[in-house]
Amino acid sequence: MDLTPDTEQLALLTATADWCRDNMPLDQARARPAGLWAELDAMGWTAMTAPDMGLTHATEALVFAELGRHLAPVGLIATAVAARWSEHPGKTALALLDSHVAGGRVRVYDPVGADRALGLAGHLVATTPLPSDLGGAPGLDPSAPLAHLDPAPPFTALGDPRAGLHLQLLTAAFAVGCADAARDMAADYAKVREQFDRPIGWFQALKHICADMAVRSAVARSQLYYAAAALDAGDAEAAFHAAAAMRLADQAAIENGRANIQVHGGIGMTDEAYPHLCLKRAHLLSFVAPARRDIILGEAA
Amino acid sequence: MDIRFSPEEQHFRAECRDWLHDNVTGQRRPMDAAAAIDFDKAWQRRLFDAGWAGINWPKEYGGRGLSIVQQVIWLEEYARAHAPWIGANFVGINHGGPTLILNASEAQKEYHLPRILRGEAIWCQGFSEPGAGSDLAGIRTHARIEGNELVVNGTKIWTSFAHVADWQELVVRTEEGSQRHKGLSWVICPMHAPGIEVRPIRKMSGQVEFAQVFYDDVRVPLDNVVGGLGNGWKVAMSTLSFERGTGFIADQVKQSQEVEELLERARSSGAIKDERIAEQLIQLRAEVAALRAMTYRNISEVVRTGQPGPEASVIRLFASELGQRLERMALLLAGEEVLDFRYGDDDLVADYLRGFAATIAGGTAQIQRDIIAERLLGLPKSR
Ligand SMILES: Cc1cc2nc3c(=O)[nH]c(=O)nc-3n(C[C@H](O)[C@H](O)[C@H](O)COP(=O)(O)OP(=O)(O)OC[C@H]3O[C@@H](n4cnc5c(N)ncnc54)[C@H](O)[C@@H]3O)c2cc1C
Repeated sequence: MDLTPDTEQLALLTATADWCRDNMPLDQARARPAGLWAELDAMGWTAMTAPDMGLTHATEALVFAELGRHLAPVGLIATAVAARWSEHPGKTALALLDSHVAGGRVRVYDPVGADRALGLAGHLVATTPLPSDLGGAPGLDPSAPLAHLDPAPPFTALGDPRAGLHLQLLTAAFAVGCADAARDMAADYAKVREQFDRPIGWFQALKHICADMAVRSAVARSQLYYAAAALDAGDAEAAFHAAAAMRLADQAAIENGRANIQVHGGIGMTDEAYPHLCLKRAHLLSFVAPARRDIILGEAA
Repeated sequence: MDIRFSPEEQHFRAECRDWLHDNVTGQRRPMDAAAAIDFDKAWQRRLFDAGWAGINWPKEYGGRGLSIVQQVIWLEEYARAHAPWIGANFVGINHGGPTLILNASEAQKEYHLPRILRGEAIWCQGFSEPGAGSDLAGIRTHARIEGNELVVNGTKIWTSFAHVADWQELVVRTEEGSQRHKGLSWVICPMHAPGIEVRPIRKMSGQVEFAQVFYDDVRVPLDNVVGGLGNGWKVAMSTLSFERGTGFIADQVKQSQEVEELLERARSSGAIKDERIAEQLIQLRAEVAALRAMTYRNISEVVRTGQPGPEASVIRLFASELGQRLERMALLLAGEEVLDFRYGDDDLVADYLRGFAATIAGGTAQIQRDIIAERLLGLPKSR
């Protein structure tokens, strides 16, 4: 039993963090360069667990938390799942199918350059081909190009339920990263913003808000590690652990996102400042692969 | 990262399980203080004789010299088997002993550690005073040096198990006029020494488990100072790191058991059909799983680096508040029946009432939040 990253994973994490800082900073999340996707692909992050890669879900989850911290394109989630489980690797848009009814409207993220979309329907992953001229413009989350399929074409389910767990795990990893980003942004601001002749982080009321953010992040990250290792180990409880990770990661991302704005005061509410980017991303992620209560309660058939 | 245990660890788990299966009788710890202490001592002795005491303590002092992972496996099986609460052995086993292993002289270790493991010596912790709670550096109980003895005067309060203890982790001011963290010493104080008076205090749950202790010219050999005269703050911090860190693994493991029992209760009574209750149970089940993951992460960190990670304070805070949420849930599911509670009952109401300790004892939740904000996030110190 070991739930800490090994030296190889730590090295990969550092490399990922460095790359993201230089090439995909959070403060430019709204205007990602057109060539970014090709670079992400070249870094290998679009297909880490593809059959010929031999990397574990745990390693991938660690890297995805780092990517999520920089508000990386959410299409990475769908693309990584497609690379592992479908016959159609390559850029895949992320579809929200949770409450989708046949013939209704489906939201699709990161559609540009993707010839398919993939999402979670029930406990199975399902895909559909995309028209090439779909385009995409940001909705609530300014860092995630969105298009609508209206009416949606039929989606074909992939048989292996592990694909659904994989999708949930990567979404949770993005949310954990998003929660961390909000926590660090709040702590950094609390150290430099001064009121009453001292940094606002000196005041306990703020200190305790920040401490609670750290708790939520640590809780969610720990469960993410466990869930990833459970999927790698073929553990019988893997579905429960992934669902628990998703729920806690969603809560951490949304609550930390909110707290970060409070810590920033007035500037935190502005379009210009960055806190809202984390909050909006958190809300988007909460719809991708929501934790099912019957799974967490151990009642799923 | 891997959640699987090695074949050797799985074998160890099977051994734990078998022994517990044969030896845990389901007998509850008595409520009466004297009977409870006999029970605790006898049970600890049985654990020791069977090789289950001090699993990760060094062999030369009576431990098994195994890894902290095996210690955790034992605690998991212990909780699963509904084995008795550690009771009065808590201080000695969880932080007194570990503090001695880290800081004490050979002679001190040789004398005390085996006695703690065998359940022969009960320890208590004399840190808090009426004027020094969260602000521990405000300690006023003092000791003057006369020849090769310390002469202690003052008072300690909230001392758990003081009325049954043989020894105490006593932190006193040994340098006259010293301030705050300086001039303190960590002393092994014999609780049966003349001049010690123990006045037990009843909790709102009915139990008499802590006390105020008065020291009137109590003579303690200078040899009983641990880690050197004047180094008491440093030694006390190591005690607290054990108390706040690994000391609570047992409780954390027990919480996974508890949430399953609550679920079972909610299902059989039909309460789970209530949306609000179902929602809370979902949250609790997810959180308890995460707590285990955090504990495993922390243990892995100890195995890898020799010490718990900086997130130990996070685990402590999260676990203490989670424990209280579980106790409230138990209360909610029990309904009006809780109103029949009387002192002397040892039930879920008593657990709920004494559970307030989780966010007070060993550093309050507020102090833990300060520590997390300052040490983990680097916010400016306000104290
Ligand atoms: C069941 C139980 C068992 C105990 N057993 C032992 C024992 O065996 N040995 C021992 O030495 N002690 C023991 N204690 C004492 C325990 O360590 C203290 O109660 C604890 O440190 C708090 O101190 P206090 O009670 O004086 O509260 P105070 O320090 O007076 O705190 C009162 C309130 O003020 C808050 N507060 C205080 N300072 C600050 C601050 N700087 N910022 C924000 N809020 C603050 C606290 O969080 C708390 O809510 C025990 C306590 C309990 C409840």
